[in-house]
Amino acid sequence: MTKKVVFTREQVTAYAEASGDRNPIHLDEDFAKSVGLPRVIAHGMLQMGLLANLAVAAAGGDPRRVRRLGVRFAGMVEPGEEVEFGAERRTDGRLELWARKADGTPVLTKAFADLS
Amino acid sequence: MAAFARAVEADPAAGVPPTYAAVYALWTTAPQLFGDAEAAVDFGRLVHAEQEFAWERHPEVGETVTARGTVAADIERRGARFITFETACTAAGGSPLCTSRALFVVRP
Repeated sequence: MTKKVVFTREQVTAYAEASGDRNPIHLDEDFAKSVGLPRVIAHGMLQMGLLANLAVAAAGGDPRRVRRLGVRFAGMVEPGEEVEFGAERRTDGRLELWARKADGTPVLTKAFADLS
Repeated sequence: MAAFARAVEADPAAGVPPTYAAVYALWTTAPQLFGDAEAAVDFGRLVHAEQEFAWERHPEVGETVTARGTVAADIERRGARFITFETACTAAGGSPLCTSRALFVVRP
């Protein structure tokens, strides 16, 4: 199972407001540049939230069946970039998850979910 | 919760999205660590490196959640600081809901 998402500024802003994480590196271009970033970046937790949708889908659409969810934040994503999210069930039952850009740059690694 | 669900492209009607734990587990407690003078976390150099959640039970909309954060490890390696921050969330009455383990790295 895979899903492609193009990140947008609107989505990052909506996530900042809904989550309460208003760190200016996600919202303010000038601030992001002042700390050495090329421009604003998406929240890692937004990446993880989008990835979690695949775990929920694998659990038949019921988020309550997600018992464990883990990621390593491996790469920054800027608005306008496309990320592919993927999930594959391992033989031991664990759901292996990942997110990467079109050129193969890893975004989320060592990602997994356990479902009940 | 509905606004959060829409922001992560989840269906609000399906229930609380798993990573809403960012709100009730992580951002309830981690800012207290970042704002603590004694902890001296350089927020400008802070990177969220890893995140894991485990649920005994997911909270429902309308439930009150109590979150308690603990610094489980705070080590320095090659000039970088690695802080493992754990949060335990409980329901009213004290039954366990969710645990969060975040790894924060403060770059040199």
